[in-house]
Amino acid sequence: MQLLLLCRETSWSDILCLGAERERDPVRNSAFLQMCNLPIKVVCRANAEYMSPSGKVPFIHVGNQVVSELGPIVQFVKAKGHSLSDGLDEVQKAEMKAYMELVNNMLLTAELYLQWCDEATVGEITHARYGSPYPWPLNHILAYQKQWEVKRKMKAIGWGKKTLDQVLEDVDQCCQALSQRLGTQLYFFNKQPTELDALVFGHLYTILTTQLTNDELSEKVKNYSNLLAFCRRIEQHYFEDRGKGRLS
Amino acid sequence: MAAPLELSCWGGGWGLPSVHSESLVVMAYAKFSGAPLKVNVIDNTWRGSRGDVPILTTEDNIVSQPAKILNFLRKQKYNADYELSAKQGADTLAYIALLEEKLLPAVLHTFWVESDNYFTVTKPWFASQIPFPLSLILPGRMSRGALNRILLTRGQPPLYHLREVEAQIYRDAKECLNLLSNRLGTSQFFFGNTPSTLDAYVFGFLAPLYKVRFPKIQLQEHLKQLSNLCRFCDDILSSYFRISLGAFSCVNRYQQQIDFGEVHSHDSTTRKLIASEWRHLSSWTRYGRCKSAETHTTCK
Repeated sequence: MQLLLLCRETSWSDILCLGAERERDPVRNSAFLQMCNLPIKVVCRANAEYMSPSGKVPFIHVGNQVVSELGPIVQFVKAKGHSLSDGLDEVQKAEMKAYMELVNNMLLTAELYLQWCDEATVGEITHARYGSPYPWPLNHILAYQKQWEVKRKMKAIGWGKKTLDQVLEDVDQCCQALSQRLGTQLYFFNKQPTELDALVFGHLYTILTTQLTNDELSEKVKNYSNLLAFCRRIEQHYFEDRGKGRLS
Repeated sequence: MAAPLELSCWGGGWGLPSVHSESLVVMAYAKFSGAPLKVNVIDNTWRGSRGDVPILTTEDNIVSQPAKILNFLRKQKYNADYELSAKQGADTLAYIALLEEKLLPAVLHTFWVESDNYFTVTKPWFASQIPFPLSLILPGRMSRGALNRILLTRGQPPLYHLREVEAQIYRDAKECLNLLSNRLGTSQFFFGNTPSTLDAYVFGFLAPLYKVRFPKIQLQEHLKQLSNLCRFCDDILSSYFRISLGAFSCVNRYQQQIDFGEVHSHDSTTRKLIASEWRHLSSWTRYGRCKSAETHTTCK
């Protein structure tokens, strides 16, 4: 079966890039599918968010079915007979789900914070990139609306009063936990990658390879050499035919 | 001699030292790590703040939010994770994230959003703990805050319908309970034989769900089927929070004596009468039958 992976041209990870190097977006989003050895084709569209059934990217289009977001995509692929976590016992599956939530809780929220709540980044990069497919005044309106939505969410989960330093400290704590869990192993569980590896790779790769107004976020990750080696290993193994490596 | 540590938190009921999850997490951690905490239960006087409870006060600091309070206690050398390995420390963070993402929305929904539960149990109980007219405002605000949190983290913009997410959050919560049960297995605590931060968090989230008597109880039913989690909560309650009159927390000259299920106030009887009248009135007008009497029975 051939999967069509759709993402928005200026989706969140792409917003963190200066310049038009769009191929990084498909790398992050397709790590899981690459690990399952499934044939995929990646397509970028400005209106991908609106095509998606849940409003979130990325989503996959297979035959006459459309599935969005990592969780349901994993379930869908599993139902078709491909799964990365079959070899795990119950306790390991619980651990894997817990670590995936940790990544979503800390890394994803920190990325959103940095993108939409840090004034320097917002002014210089985010607004411009988010609104770029649309004409004036829609570009400003949509960007402000998105920023307001994100700030509301941050406030609801208790991140509204956090400073940038506190957010970076949380990222550091999360990376430390991931680094301790990974240790000297090749992947997080046994010698085979699982959904957790795909998720962690996606986030860390994006953080390491995008340029922001300051480099503190990627410096936090670079402090952990085993995480760096992990990302490089996955990039080389699964994406080596996509062009030159970005991690140096 | 360490400076006295005072904790402001919500009071207890149904056999628990506190009905509020976050307060319970801090109390449990203090017991596990041996921190000498003076517990100030929120009462009918106008003293103290109710907004960001639990709050830890020392001579020089005021700390709110469970994560920050636990960090502060650790820096004061009250560390329940002393014997954990680095990997176990990392696992702790991961499981706490799991609890907050998967279990917390459903717990908030059961307590604050589900109408039957909220109007018959939660609102009368919280309203009875605080003075009038705050009792008319604060429970509503807490309920809206809970709904907001559920919708913003789980709902889909721009319309945020609750109905779409209700089924999903309960499914996630049941899965989370199953995962916790699998992880706990037959051990006494999550890491070995001594309780740690993770045990405090799990206890704080599960115990109110386990013990408080609600009309709508689908999540509670599911929890009761996981006998090792129930045994976990009961063990901690009997070992660390002995259920006897006034045994739980300290009494000092400013404080009320805490009896499970009831809060005796130093205030005048008139105020107690008015408060109880409001409780009955609010229950009657909502449902035509008085359930408030049940919320204040002492523990069995």
